[in-house]
Amino acid sequence: MVDLATEAAASAAGLVKRFGERRVVDGVDLVVPKGMIYGVLGPNGAGKTTTLRMLLGIIEPDAGERMLLGYDHPRDASDQVGYLPEERGLYPAMKAKEAIAFMGALRGLDWKTGRERAAAMLDDAGLGHAADEKIRKLSKGMAQLVQLLGSIVHRPDLLVLDEPFSGLDPVNQEKLEKLIRAERDRGATVIFSTHVMAHAERLCDRLAIIAGGKRRFEGTVADARGTLPFKAHYVPHHDDGGIRALLPADAEQDGDGWRFTLPEEGIEALLVRLIDAGYGIAGLSIERPSLHEAFVRIVGPEALAEEPA
Amino acid sequence: MIPSRKAIRQALTIARRDFIATVFTPMFLFFLLAPLIMVSFSLIGGLGASSVAEGAADRERLVVVADAADAALVEHADARLRTLFSKDAMPPELVIAAPAADPVAQARAALDARDHDVDAAIVGPFGLPHIFYRAGSARDADYLAALAEDVVLGQAGKGRPLSAPIEVEVTHHGATVGGRHAAGLMAVFGIFFLTLLLAGQAVGTMAEERSNKVIEVLAAAVPLESVFFGKLIGMFGSAVLFILFWGTIAAQVGHVLPPEAAQTMRELQPAVGWPTLIVLFCCYFTMAYLLLGAVFLAIGAQATTIREIQMLSLPITFTQIGMFALASAGAARPEGWVAVVAEVFPLSSPYAMAARAANTAGLWPHLAALLWQALWVAVVISLGARWFRRGVLKSGAPRRKKAAATANG
Repeated sequence: MVDLATEAAASAAGLVKRFGERRVVDGVDLVVPKGMIYGVLGPNGAGKTTTLRMLLGIIEPDAGERMLLGYDHPRDASDQVGYLPEERGLYPAMKAKEAIAFMGALRGLDWKTGRERAAAMLDDAGLGHAADEKIRKLSKGMAQLVQLLGSIVHRPDLLVLDEPFSGLDPVNQEKLEKLIRAERDRGATVIFSTHVMAHAERLCDRLAIIAGGKRRFEGTVADARGTLPFKAHYVPHHDDGGIRALLPADAEQDGDGWRFTLPEEGIEALLVRLIDAGYGIAGLSIERPSLHEAFVRIVGPEALAEEPA
Repeated sequence: MIPSRKAIRQALTIARRDFIATVFTPMFLFFLLAPLIMVSFSLIGGLGASSVAEGAADRERLVVVADAADAALVEHADARLRTLFSKDAMPPELVIAAPAADPVAQARAALDARDHDVDAAIVGPFGLPHIFYRAGSARDADYLAALAEDVVLGQAGKGRPLSAPIEVEVTHHGATVGGRHAAGLMAVFGIFFLTLLLAGQAVGTMAEERSNKVIEVLAAAVPLESVFFGKLIGMFGSAVLFILFWGTIAAQVGHVLPPEAAQTMRELQPAVGWPTLIVLFCCYFTMAYLLLGAVFLAIGAQATTIREIQMLSLPITFTQIGMFALASAGAARPEGWVAVVAEVFPLSSPYAMAARAANTAGLWPHLAALLWQALWVAVVISLGARWFRRGVLKSGAPRRKKAAATANG
């Protein structure tokens, strides 16, 4: 269990939540430094949403403590927090501009300023024409963008996005990535949950991996990748079957070549042996493990198997 | 338990949204004018019933078998006695029939007449008359007996009036016991009627947030207590608009009341006086609305479908009727234990205390009652919010183990 960090944007120590007999979150510790983009990764059913909800004070933990923007009780920080829940929801009869101003008003922004900012933000997002359209007339992607704008209209110090990329087309995913970076550059801390590694790999300054209700990893993307050794992909000039004996034990045939873990002493000695044996080098690449591979290794097959269909 | 400025601001934001979403819709116009439908149907029903009643009254007759010598005395007595009746209580028209060979048989046979409904018939001698009457027409028989008495006095040359009364109209300025009770019952009914019309709507107000998934956005930004309170205030705002609209119309109707009705109204004298009663009525209506609305909101928030909300309407209506019955019983016997129970039990307290204001002078019990009711509003909102949070705001589904993890991100 970590000590709650008062200088962190958000921190949690030993968070536990049970639903019935099931421990959905089981002693999760988190420390989210200020001014960073922080990813909460995990398979479906890992406990990400419940962890974020407890962090924000939407539901109370059965055990553990949390601190948000220096407040012991997350509710006290609510005006400085923006939140996009996994299940998107807006009042269908509200106009886009009003919906954004309303979400700002909930967080302490006056209506007039909220409307002005909403109009400007919608213009910036290319949705100026929809400012006075009712939500029910907008496409799903546009409504999702409106809700996202509503979560940042009051310029929060902490932005929490639960699976923000789900349901967005590639163009809007790109827009959202830019927006997240812009929020970080403005000085805000961004926490987002996802089970899509590509977004986390591109965006996260730090990340936590949760599976089975437990935190399995915490660190940078590089740290996560560092949990796996580099891989080499070697293609000989010819392959007569004898080459197998020269390669590391975990080598696997991959097309015309072989893929294996980079030896701890380096690849030079191995290459010398292969050249001396007459196999030569038709191709060679050293591959850094991806976050996806690191995630699969960290989460483990058992946790992935827990993922509901 | 005292809400912070921030919580009040958040509740008012929710209330503003709900008020606008409710009032600025074509449906609200329909809601506002709904009493017109009720009044229209009441008028149509009333006119129909009145027409049927008048038709039946037109066909009713009283028969007097009397010879020509007594006929004038009968007519005179009938004319005099009818001055004692109001229009609604007037006996049926009197028909004088000349005696046949067997006057007694004639009078009895008159009840079987086919062209009219003869309720009662009398045959002399008037000193010892025979009166025949249909079942249910004993009052008409009594009228004919009084008529015979007058005719006998006339025959004896002792025509009315035998006395010369001096009638002096005295206007009663103080509150009568009857007037206080009537004012109390009127206050109870007024609050009951308004809450029956308006508070029940709270049952479905959380359904919108649940169906369009806004609830998590609200719950993340605002304590659920503020969400509940804000929704109540929003609904209360639209209820007040409704009351102001119809209250303004009703006030104008008051100017055109017939003199009898105006006199009846003057006799309604609440113990605390009208201005104080009106203020207390507003306070107790507010409390009744918030209290019942909070209960209905909390119960309705658990409903997941429109069908469940509809199913809840019946027990909710019965609850309101039960509270009305309890408070009415207390208002009828202000010193009895039922009145005390009704005043203390939170859900009936606003009704019963309004009745108390009409029946008993003294203001401090009202201050205590308003605080007591406000406390219960806070308790119900708090419990309702907790219940809602526990039942709805969780990402797992513990009731079905199979799906336990489906919603956990």
